Amino acid sequence: MRQTAQMRTHQFESHSGADTIAVGHRVAELLVPPKFLILRGDLGAGKTTLVKGIAEALEAADPDEVTSPTFTLVHEYEGTRAVDGRREPVMLYHLDLYRIQNERQLHSLGLEELSSPDSIVLVEWGEKFPSVVKRSQGEIEMRTTGGDSRSITLRLGDRG
Amino acid sequence: MILGIETSCDETAAAVVREGREILSSVVASQIPIHSPYGGVVPELASREHLRNILPVVRAALEQAGVGYQDLAAIAVTQGPGLAGALLVGISFAKSLAFAIEKPLIAVNHLEGHIHAVLLEEARRQVNASDLLPEGRPPARPALLALVVSGGHTHLYLAEARQSEAGEPVWSYRNVGRTVDDAAGEAFDKVAKLLGLGYPGGPWIDALAPQGDPEAVPFTFAQIKAKAHRKGEPGALDPATATYFSYSGIKTAVLRYTHVHEMEASIETRRAALAGLPNPTPADALPLCDRRTLDLIASFQRSVVDDLRRKTFRAAEQFGVDRVLVSGGVAANRELRVRFTAEAAERNLVIAFPSLSLSTDNAAMIAAAAWPRLAAGDFASDGLTAEPSLVLGGAPR
Repeated sequence: MRQTAQMRTHQFESHSGADTIAVGHRVAELLVPPKFLILRGDLGAGKTTLVKGIAEALEAADPDEVTSPTFTLVHEYEGTRAVDGRREPVMLYHLDLYRIQNERQLHSLGLEELSSPDSIVLVEWGEKFPSVVKRSQGEIEMRTTGGDSRSITLRLGDRG
Repeated sequence: MILGIETSCDETAAAVVREGREILSSVVASQIPIHSPYGGVVPELASREHLRNILPVVRAALEQAGVGYQDLAAIAVTQGPGLAGALLVGISFAKSLAFAIEKPLIAVNHLEGHIHAVLLEEARRQVNASDLLPEGRPPARPALLALVVSGGHTHLYLAEARQSEAGEPVWSYRNVGRTVDDAAGEAFDKVAKLLGLGYPGGPWIDALAPQGDPEAVPFTFAQIKAKAHRKGEPGALDPATATYFSYSGIKTAVLRYTHVHEMEASIETRRAALAGLPNPTPADALPLCDRRTLDLIASFQRSVVDDLRRKTFRAAEQFGVDRVLVSGGVAANRELRVRFTAEAAERNLVIAFPSLSLSTDNAAMIAAAAWPRLAAGDFASDGLTAEPSLVLGGAPR
């Protein structure tokens, strides 16, 4: 992903886990499939919590059904999104590359196979890998701004 | 005897088990030097690694058991949950092998396998189920409560065996608890990492915790409200009786503690010092940890173990079971074993853990879980495929 003039930026603030889920709802409305985004933020920034909100908005899972993909690497959720008053199917993929050490291991995960036209792919720790960065159409960045507060930034590139 | 094959996540494993109780061999790829360039230290996340390992591992399992393909009664394989590509390697191999040697194929849920890791050892000790009950008490119900706790799972199951017409046990499971965010083992891994210790984190925390004060840092766990789930969802829990675990918050709390107490520099020093050693161990880390760090480690472990213990025994009481078993990688934790054992004694319940080699992922547990299915003729169809999100105790298969 290159920082270009065409990059659209959406900024959100959260002061609790419940806020972060609510932000997830608003982010979900801005994501038109297919999307392949890096989800960045330090350990404990609330990345899984944000995905809980996105999954709930897409009617893909209840918040407490969305768990960390660190160990399993990929979680997928089947949902729907509102398009012109109808609900269209959408596949939400939540990936975590925390345990992946190099491009060789990454390659065998088959990320390219996740890019169906109806997919939204969110990749935690994707910024570690140039190939993932190159492929991404933007990012969601979560920063701790003291205590329970987080600033959440959605950046969508021109391909998004 | 059954050949078990397990490739759901990091480990390629094969085992031969006789009658669900006698382990003739149990081979795990990371323990044998078949991929010399990496020395077995690279986790086999990749299906390619499983592909490279599967044949040598299966051959080693048969060789160590001293049996040939024709001695097998069936092949058992993990169907899920796990990583799709990894599962598929085991399933494809097992299907081809079963077809080639004309033996039945049995699909096993990985989580059911963990439960049978404990049951198989009980069976091996030739204990009758009734002997496992506290003296002089009839079984309240024939069920047991199983806590499966690892890097990827934190689940509570009610497991119940009924006798089939042939006199063989037929197991059924009901999911009565799970994590809403991180697995307990994942919290161990991430806390170890953010304190500059090694991976996987469990053994490091376990080894260092006795050196600190477990009550030095109070951690609290938020009450998790049960939500009504959509009806008909496979794996949906009954909110009235469900137990919910959450280990994401304590990870964040540990991180915040290190910031508040400005521990970053000492963590970096420790990380760098350990990275400079060829095979660092917790003993190498001990002199690199100050009092505050050791107290934090001890308090973290005590909090997680106590949360698991409180919720597990509360569920045991709620469901009126006499037997509790704990399985999965975190079942290897020493403080967990000590504190669960003590509470079970206090409550006059029977508690069981697997031996250390069966705590983590292995194929013996898959072969053991498949044994009652062989008698029942419960075989996989030709269309068997990987189920990355397979639930245990959901809708009947």
